[in-house]
Amino acid sequence: MAIASTPLKRRPNWVRLREQVLGYVLLGPALLLFIAFTVFPVGFGFYISLHNWRLGPREFLGLGNYVRALTFGSEFWPSLGATLTYSLLAVPIQITLALTLAYLLFQKVRGKALFRVVMFLPWVTSTVATAAVWARLYSPDIGIINGLLRMLGFQPLRWLLEDKGVFTLIATSLGIALPDWLRGPSLAMVAVVIYTTWVFVGYNMTLFLAGLGNIPSEMYEAAKIDGANGWQLFRHITWPLLSPTTFFVVLITVIGTLKAFNHIWVMTQGDNGTQTASILIYRQFYEFQRAGYASALAFLLSAVILLVTIVQNRVASERVHY
Amino acid sequence: MNSYKLFALLSVTGMVLAGCAAPATPAPTQPPAPQAVQPTPTSAPAPTKAPEPTKAPEPTKAPEPTKAPEPASGVDAIVLSKDKPTEILFWHRYSGGAQKFVEQFVEKFNAENPYGIKVTVEKIDGSYADLYSKINAALQGGTPPNIAQAYQNQASFYRLDGNVIDLSPYITSKNYGLSQQEIADYYPFFLESDKNPQFPGEVLGWPTSRSAAVLYVNLDWLNELGAQEPPKTLAEFEELACKASDPTNERYGLAWQNDISNFAALIFANGGRVLSEDAKSYVFNSEAGVEALALLKRLFEKKCAVEIPSSERFGEQTRFAGQKVLFVMASSTGLPFYADAVAKADKPFRWTYVMFPQKDPAKPVVDIYGASWSVFKSTPEQQLASWLFLKAFTEPENIAGWANASGYMAVRKSAAPKAIELVKNDERYKNFPDAVEAYVRLYDMVNFGAVEAPVAGYDPVRKLMSEVVSKVAVKGEGDIKAELDKAVEEANNVLKENAPAPSSY
Repeated sequence: MAIASTPLKRRPNWVRLREQVLGYVLLGPALLLFIAFTVFPVGFGFYISLHNWRLGPREFLGLGNYVRALTFGSEFWPSLGATLTYSLLAVPIQITLALTLAYLLFQKVRGKALFRVVMFLPWVTSTVATAAVWARLYSPDIGIINGLLRMLGFQPLRWLLEDKGVFTLIATSLGIALPDWLRGPSLAMVAVVIYTTWVFVGYNMTLFLAGLGNIPSEMYEAAKIDGANGWQLFRHITWPLLSPTTFFVVLITVIGTLKAFNHIWVMTQGDNGTQTASILIYRQFYEFQRAGYASALAFLLSAVILLVTIVQNRVASERVHY
Repeated sequence: MNSYKLFALLSVTGMVLAGCAAPATPAPTQPPAPQAVQPTPTSAPAPTKAPEPTKAPEPTKAPEPTKAPEPASGVDAIVLSKDKPTEILFWHRYSGGAQKFVEQFVEKFNAENPYGIKVTVEKIDGSYADLYSKINAALQGGTPPNIAQAYQNQASFYRLDGNVIDLSPYITSKNYGLSQQEIADYYPFFLESDKNPQFPGEVLGWPTSRSAAVLYVNLDWLNELGAQEPPKTLAEFEELACKASDPTNERYGLAWQNDISNFAALIFANGGRVLSEDAKSYVFNSEAGVEALALLKRLFEKKCAVEIPSSERFGEQTRFAGQKVLFVMASSTGLPFYADAVAKADKPFRWTYVMFPQKDPAKPVVDIYGASWSVFKSTPEQQLASWLFLKAFTEPENIAGWANASGYMAVRKSAAPKAIELVKNDERYKNFPDAVEAYVRLYDMVNFGAVEAPVAGYDPVRKLMSEVVSKVAVKGEGDIKAELDKAVEEANNVLKENAPAPSSY
């Protein structure tokens, strides 16, 4: 018996319309939430940024706040410099340490579960609390770190209170005078980066451990049979196959450092070369009560983060192997 | 305006209002209708001569209609009733004994007040700056508290957008205000400090807490240095601070917390001001400002002072109790905290606080400050309820206990002896008779009080000043006068930006 093939019937318009309406109805609640809690706040923030806005609008400035921020000599540029310095210092150190620790703890070593917990603890502990404790450790006269330095016969340092560049400090201790442009990041900034590394390295390590766990063990076994040594295993198997994880970790770490706020505020309140863009925004908003200007700064920082992320994506697209 | 003018103004206002006030009868009565008496003419006697009709007496003059009492208006027209409770919210950041006292008072007030006012009290964790930030956020969100602690400059900032109310009509209200005797019972300086130069004639906060910038002194250590009494002049202070310092053993003359009220106290002690008298410009770059900064710079250069990082809370108290510093510049309200810290120290010692040393001790000037309680704009009933709460809190019988619990001065003269008595009998101070004496002397300082800058935008200006002190004095960078001039220029821009008129921002 021949089976007659029935041609597909085009659905009537009303059915398609009903499906479309149903789709939007189902999408509605989520869309409303998105508009209420994302689109509207961003849009309203932009509206505020166009005004001289204190507790309310005072006058319309157009792009005046943006012009003010981008004008040469404004406080935005040094704060952006401090933000990028912080990011450039913190990201490579964190990633390298986290990857190294993850690789070591991925091996068959005794007590690795304990090590993992210990490394992860700073990340789950309150940032404000740990930052306050570290600030005490850095105290120039009663801090433990300077106590150790004194014990070892070194001069105590001013740590979070020091705005001199680290290269200048090193050169001065060696009796060399450095030009100002070679001063390097302030010691306070370096102290903050040390703290940041302590906090976030465990978290990044955990992500790397998850990535390492996803690499098929057969690959290593095959390579070992072919006579690959430890470095070759890492270079030709681990590193390429870990690249999606590395890309993700780098991405979130860069974004995290660009908008870092809590611990910097607790430790230095943005003093001594640590006034990053987030701190500047906070100060303009809460200390100077310039909501309009602070909003404009926030949009500019978002633009910088977006730009950096786009560049990272472009670079990563050629180097990440999925 | 000085205190006498304030008193005179309030007196006149009170008298005018008293003159116009309605009688006690609540409802106005109808004036009685005028009743002219119509006499009947005397009847004529018998025949002969018709007597002239008796001259009709002048009709009795109709009595003046009784003047109807004017209906209560304004604040007096508001009626609060237990039948319809009025709820208000109070934000503060007191801790320890002060917090406990406030909470107990609120409980009592809620139970006993005849107006049906229910106060909810919320403690805001953090500093005054945090409270300020939270209030500003709440104002933008349209949910401010009804009452909150606010420094005078902060109240002024809230007032720029009409968010806090002028308390004058409440103070002078016949039904709910204060009598002349009651007003006179407040220290005039405290009342005066809540009057704002940017909003003349308005009272933007009510003084509940005041303290002075003082110098805490380790008396035993001072005696070891050969001094019999705390320094009175700035020169003596500098000399003793340096004599006490021994950096190798982490001991210093002065613990310097970069709290700008300490710098302001130094400017006052040198005979200067932070803000000009007409409140039109900042003047902390005057000769007095330069001398104050130069003194600090010398102290740091000679390692006679140690900086307490802002991240280190109560670092100056810890060092004082550990006998690591001879002097601390701080608020007099630290009394209970210093007593507690020294009592717990390994080696307790004699200590006290004194008026900050002066350039000219014959003409002392003391920085006296303290957050007042401001009332935020809400319904007429809530505003009145807020005022009644402030009024009740500052009743003499309450304010003495408050002063003892908090370490603040009693803001009313009649409460001061009781407050002193309470401190004298307080167990916390039983081993520190010198500190008790200091509290007694504190009230003398009111006569020499000065306020920093009660204008909107002073908070960021404090930060600018703080940066100059840190750069010039602590780090030894830059020229004193040039840096102060630069800071004043920026500060004046902030002042202009926060002027009540539309700003030229």
